[in-house]
Amino acid sequence: MTRWWPIYGLKKKLTEQKEYVSPVGLTKPKTRIFNRSLFVYVIDVGSSNALNFEISALESPQYNIHRFGIFMTDSPRHADVLLILGRPVTQMLGPLKETIDQLPEPFYTITIDDHPDQPGLNDYPELPHHMAALTGIPSPSEILGLLLDIAKTKRMKS
Amino acid sequence: MKVLTGIITSLKGEQLLVLDNGKPVLIKTGDHPEKIFGNYSILKQHPVRINDETMKGPGVFKFRYGPVTAGVREAGCFYLYTYGEKILRATIDISWKQREIAKAMQGRSPEKALALAERVSSNFALSHSVAFSRAVEMALHQTPSLLTKNWRILFLESERIYNHLYVIYKLSSAAAQKVLAAHVSALFEEALRLNEKLTGSRYLMGINSTGRLLHAPDVAAVEQIANQYANMARQFTELYKHSLKNFNYLDRLHSAGTLSPEQAIKLGLTGPTLRACGVKDDLNDATEHLISLPVITQKEGDALARMEVRAEEIVNSCHYLVNHLRASDSWYDAKEKENIPQQAEGTGYAVVNSPSGALGYYVEIKENKMQRVEIFTPSYVGMHAVSHALEGLIFTDFPFAFESFGVHFADAAI
Repeated sequence: MTRWWPIYGLKKKLTEQKEYVSPVGLTKPKTRIFNRSLFVYVIDVGSSNALNFEISALESPQYNIHRFGIFMTDSPRHADVLLILGRPVTQMLGPLKETIDQLPEPFYTITIDDHPDQPGLNDYPELPHHMAALTGIPSPSEILGLLLDIAKTKRMKS
Repeated sequence: MKVLTGIITSLKGEQLLVLDNGKPVLIKTGDHPEKIFGNYSILKQHPVRINDETMKGPGVFKFRYGPVTAGVREAGCFYLYTYGEKILRATIDISWKQREIAKAMQGRSPEKALALAERVSSNFALSHSVAFSRAVEMALHQTPSLLTKNWRILFLESERIYNHLYVIYKLSSAAAQKVLAAHVSALFEEALRLNEKLTGSRYLMGINSTGRLLHAPDVAAVEQIANQYANMARQFTELYKHSLKNFNYLDRLHSAGTLSPEQAIKLGLTGPTLRACGVKDDLNDATEHLISLPVITQKEGDALARMEVRAEEIVNSCHYLVNHLRASDSWYDAKEKENIPQQAEGTGYAVVNSPSGALGYYVEIKENKMQRVEIFTPSYVGMHAVSHALEGLIFTDFPFAFESFGVHFADAAI
């Protein structure tokens, strides 16, 4: 018998209960304003695409980021954190600056340099409120750990 | 069936990399190649702006979408000509993500260049890695062991599974099917975790090399991984069957981004996009499967057909992995580490069956350094197909047309 979709959705508990740990510490003192409510805008400035996939994986029910008050937003004007994926190609330096200009104060920027030794890419420009710099391809758990450090919401259980 | 995969131009003349009944061959360009291969002019020009012709008319204006937008997260840009609701023409600018990786490979040793090949588009890292290493092996007369060949094939299927799950997750999400999208994204994350268990990398990076594997997969965990793939096939089949009874979902995908078989062949498409138009391709032969996987086709050529092809391929690939992972403990090759190149220079080429179609490499090596690397990706011709498929659609159909092709700017721009 075909079950109605919401009933199908209820039959399993996919959300995991564990502690998420950031691979890096925060570089600046943080404001308390984002406690338990953090809106993240993602910009790809030249990543090899694995990071885009990791952000999609972070949105999966295993992590259930909404329980921590963390949400992906569709506009930089609604964002508290700008998550910058990859090291910038020259073409994306302008759009990156334009996006940063759209962020409302206070905000943080986070960079993830997926391939630090790759030739031909630019160094990051000076980023305002640069809170953390990750390298490599961090797992969704690690990205979530960092976001939880900023949102100051680290709990074992939801 | 012959498909033009790439064009190699040099001072000596022009050569074509053609997939002839699933086997890659290099042939000299004859007279009027554009009459034989419809995609010759597309591959010859390799523009950074696809379908870049201005459109004028009463009330027609150009709408820019990208390179920074939440709808298409990758750095790429669409210029949509419209008078308000219908997309009349779509120009796609792939230049925003050009990183000139092929150029960066020049002067490096094959092993170091392979690390860059994995970074062209990391969701196709294994396909790039295998195509590159096969081309290098051909150039240097190096023969990988059977063990290496077998594992590469299994890893390619792992890559296919998570990429197809990603596409279906994006489609169901765009169609506001929250429950389906949540369950498929959970499976997508599960597939990435299985990759990590099997190879140590969620994107199957750093395991393959030229002529050999860098490290052996964790054989102790293989039985457990096989069971998890069997479980994934069962769960996905249940979800897929359930989704096919949901007419809200089907209606959103049906007749969105339709391509005719003639258009698909003319554009030189391969993989699920071509098979969704009802055309059987020979790509499975390029992968040297241990046993042949069935070629899944659909007739409609729309987003729904492309989703159905991918869905059935997920289940097939899971079963394939289950069967062969369980047999993998009998794969053993004592000469694995003795496999060394027979020469330090040469020319080679290869094509693999990536999740989105034929992916080819052409390499020239001199004194064990890369002299020239040409990369031919499914996303480049796929972007041309997206541009055609978007014409005549309304704006709300945009994500179905785009996501169903499984193409990526990183892969198209290189």
